[in-house]
Amino acid sequence: MFLTRSEYDRGVNTFSPEGRLFQVEYAIEAIKLGSTAIAVRTDEGVVMAVEKRVTSPLLEPSSIEKVAEIDDHIGVAMSGLTADARTLIDHGRVETQQHRFTYNEPMPLESLTQSLCDLALRFGEDEEGEVGMSRPFGVALLVAGWDAEGGPVLFHTDPSGTYVQYEAKAIGSGSEGAQTALQESYRKDMTLKEAEVLALSTLKQVMEEKVTATNVDIARVAPKWHLYSPTEVEEVIARL
Amino acid sequence: MATALPVRAQVPAAGQATKQHASWSPYDDNGGTVVAVAGDDYCIVAASTRMSTGYSILTRNKSKILRLNPKCVVASAGMQADMETLHKMLHSRHVTYQFNHRRPMSCPATAQLLSNTLYYKRFFPYYTFNLCAGLDDEGRGAVYTYDAIGSYERVGYGCQGSGKELIQPVLDNQLKAASPLVLPQQQWLSSLPLEQAVDLVKGAFVSAGERDIYTGDDVEILIITKDGIRTDSLQLKRD
Repeated sequence: MFLTRSEYDRGVNTFSPEGRLFQVEYAIEAIKLGSTAIAVRTDEGVVMAVEKRVTSPLLEPSSIEKVAEIDDHIGVAMSGLTADARTLIDHGRVETQQHRFTYNEPMPLESLTQSLCDLALRFGEDEEGEVGMSRPFGVALLVAGWDAEGGPVLFHTDPSGTYVQYEAKAIGSGSEGAQTALQESYRKDMTLKEAEVLALSTLKQVMEEKVTATNVDIARVAPKWHLYSPTEVEEVIARL
Repeated sequence: MATALPVRAQVPAAGQATKQHASWSPYDDNGGTVVAVAGDDYCIVAASTRMSTGYSILTRNKSKILRLNPKCVVASAGMQADMETLHKMLHSRHVTYQFNHRRPMSCPATAQLLSNTLYYKRFFPYYTFNLCAGLDDEGRGAVYTYDAIGSYERVGYGCQGSGKELIQPVLDNQLKAASPLVLPQQQWLSSLPLEQAVDLVKGAFVSAGERDIYTGDDVEILIITKDGIRTDSLQLKRD
């Protein structure tokens, strides 16, 4: 049966005649609706700063989780459909623990990222005995970690299952402006403290609200995962 | 509820008893001895090359050492078939590890993998007695010693196999290394210079070859340093 042009964006298993997978492209679009997340790599560690959209004064800000620990040497910042990120995070946590169990060493960051991307690519599959994923994940991740051999590393993954390594990367609604700002101000020899300021000031530029300790989360992997407390966030804000 | 009457057991008439195998064991001990000594910046691994069953020598030239990479080897004594299977398994796991993680498996990682591999066969164990040896991430000598079901410990030196009872006390006496687990911490790497340690290992094998019929023919010796693996050998009595 011949499909009309507009029908090629229905199935996740069907290429359009131009060679595109529309559902994957739409999933990447979904990320541009999400809150902004920024990660900056330095030789001392990786800093992540994320925007939390506190839509109501009655909302408990600490219940919005946009950064998560995978293992004590790996963390992720997310943007897009954050519910989808749960699946990826749970998978990553299992993989890193499995690696520790088998080899008694922390999992290399690229292996973990590859494993997350393998899962992201499993849409449209009919798995034996269980229902497969009907659509691509609508979430992008910034995977930050500390490798035993290579030190601090930062990866970006998207719904197509592609991953790329970055020195500094922004995702989400403000990503275009933020990425330009990062490109202008990033230096390879930054200290971790300077990276905190760069990440947060870049985030501040693209955020509609004023930056406070409640509407941003900051985390670092240097070399262990650490989520900043409100006082620590305020301390960074004071340095802006 | 009506229960079926038990069918009367067939009692074999005298002289017609069903024949059973007297006994059959899935295991055989093919003998052999493996030794490893860790130094500050080297590791020596040695294994006899005789393979026996009972009073017969099956071959005088069977390597018991699996070289995974320039910093890690596994040496096994016990049953040859199980050793072969275990080494093939570890080799293939090492190849896939390198595909997945783009680097060779380190000695501590191999040690953990070997432990898990042995424990997964907890109820039908590989009849192998293993040493995992090489250099750790800091470049120091590393020796891990195992029981057949995967319990393991990092030690300064180790000996497994048929000559264990003869060699281990000699190493204990000469190297006097404490377990790395004792408190307060003690020096547990061999402080001997490399050449002296090689001589000690050779001497220990010569002695074991005198009394243990399963240790003989040749000794394959690997000397692992940061520059790679150097080999040495020693001829033992062929009786």
